[in-house]
Amino acid sequence: MKAAILSGKGGTGKTTVSTHLAALFPDALYVDMDVEEPNGDLFLNPEWNDRIPVSVIYPEIDNDKCTHCRNCAAFCRFNALIAGKALTISMKEICHGCGGCALVCPSDAIRYRERIIGYVSRGITRFGSPIISGKMDVGEFSGVPLIDRIRTMDRTEALQIIDSPPGTSCTTVAAVEGCDLAVIVTEPTPFALSDMKRTVEMLRTMKLPFAVVINKAGMGDRGVYDYCRDESIDILGEIPFSLELAGAYATGVMLDSVSPQLQKEYRKIMDGMKRKAGMPGVAV
Amino acid sequence: MNKIKETVVISGKGGTGKTSFTASLVPFMDNAVFADCDVDAPNLSILLEGETVEEEEFSGLQRAVHNSSLCSGCGQCLASCRFGAIKGDFSVHAPSCEGCAVCVHVCPENAMTLEDAVVGKVYESETIYGPLVHASLIPGEETSGRLVSRVRGAARELAEATGRTGILIDGPPGIGCAVISSVTGADSVCIVTEPTLSGLYDLKRVYSMVLRFNPAVFIIINKADLSEDVCRDIEDFAAENGVPVLMKIPFNKKIVQSLSNREIPSVAEADFFENLGWKKALETI
Ligand code: SF4
Ligand code: SF4
Ligand code: SF4
Ligand code: SF4
Repeated sequence: MKAAILSGKGGTGKTTVSTHLAALFPDALYVDMDVEEPNGDLFLNPEWNDRIPVSVIYPEIDNDKCTHCRNCAAFCRFNALIAGKALTISMKEICHGCGGCALVCPSDAIRYRERIIGYVSRGITRFGSPIISGKMDVGEFSGVPLIDRIRTMDRTEALQIIDSPPGTSCTTVAAVEGCDLAVIVTEPTPFALSDMKRTVEMLRTMKLPFAVVINKAGMGDRGVYDYCRDESIDILGEIPFSLELAGAYATGVMLDSVSPQLQKEYRKIMDGMKRKAGMPGVAV
Repeated sequence: MNKIKETVVISGKGGTGKTSFTASLVPFMDNAVFADCDVDAPNLSILLEGETVEEEEFSGLQRAVHNSSLCSGCGQCLASCRFGAIKGDFSVHAPSCEGCAVCVHVCPENAMTLEDAVVGKVYESETIYGPLVHASLIPGEETSGRLVSRVRGAARELAEATGRTGILIDGPPGIGCAVISSVTGADSVCIVTEPTLSGLYDLKRVYSMVLRFNPAVFIIINKADLSEDVCRDIEDFAAENGVPVLMKIPFNKKIVQSLSNREIPSVAEADFFENLGWKKALETI
């Protein structure tokens, strides 16, 4: 089962839920696809075995061959090429790497080079479970190539927990595609509810089965509960709000201070996830 | 013409209280236009409750459309598309298509064309504090960066047309294209963070991104009492980089409650904010 853990709004506790599941079910592969802000390793403290660079292409212009016809600049939909009378320049940060400019160049003046935009790492967490984590370099525009790289990696684990980017952007879609199930982590506040509705809309368009986990239960209002009831969305579990828990999260020690009660709640969540994906459940 | 001062509030990590902080500033900004650039999670309007006065569709990109009646099945489009956006039957998987036009170029039968794709809407609302420009992206759509630029552009046009002197922007989370679009060329950037390991880590990442654009930077530590140690780490980081810590806001259940009541925290809990040096913070910004 590949389960994407999502949050409409950032900071609802998506990583908290993902890392707890990873720690309690060490046969599961934890995949950090939140490549702009990958934080799972702060809690799971892995030892990395492998660090794979991920690159994209960009054009390099041979100005000795260039006849300044401007075909390339006219073709580029992303304005990544400046073709002047004397010099043609490419702006590699803006280039999307479509490969079109070389196709339209009559003088064979364009060659593609690669540049690294981030890394995908593989390792073992301190709970003995496997982890894959993607991290985009600061200043890059899109993490999609990193997510695509992770998706093509050899992943044989029967159970995979995908910590996905927040929101409903292109990276979220890229991370969720190919999963069997999505779990939305939300909190009982009007902001979180509004964002969650967007996530629901996205998942319904993608025709992916999904359910909800409510974090920080006990604060805020009942809006999220009412919405789930009206829309027949399953609530798999509730993690109560406590300042103590928030403090443990702050310093990264939360995984060691899981009370038996909370453990039970997480088992219940995993049980619900497996059943939702059409698999036998787990003992709670 | 007056120079219009643009202030952007961002966070790196989501959920640190960026929108609550932005909303708290709103009632204290005279003569400003407000812009919600968190287009994936547009929440400022929930607190400001405006009335929509204008609405426009936003396309911002084009996508390939396949015409199967012209297609000969030669497969060149499939072989050339670098984004895996063309399926086995040569139709286009829209979410993956970047509109690069390579397939249009290689297709010998003119069976591929580019067409405008509507990915969201931009709204202008009238609130009691002034005009608000916000947007909604169709969930799963991907031009956040361009939509952010459009919202900023619309806010600027509005400010110019109505002679307003400031623009306050609720920026997107993360460090990718949407945030870059929101801080490029801004006068000052407020980073709202929280004293957690992820908060600190994301603060460092987003700060190094912001530096490229050279604005005035301020740090706001929200939920400051979550961890004294990490809070000190943040203050050390700020001091090392010469960034002023504008405010330290301790965790307060009443703030959560005021948000649940759809009230602006700095108004609903005015005394609480006053004791934290709110006036001075406002003057600094
Ligand atoms: S590869 Fe594509 S995006 Fe990049 S410069 Fe060439 S035409 Fe533009
Ligand atoms: S298409 Fe080739 S020859 Fe023409 S301007 Fe571009 S690089 Fe130069
Ligand atoms: S426009 Fe570009 S990305 Fe879209 S289908 Fe054609 S080749 Fe692929
Ligand atoms: S290149 Fe044109 S004709 Fe060939 S398969 Fe693609 S759409 Fe059909």
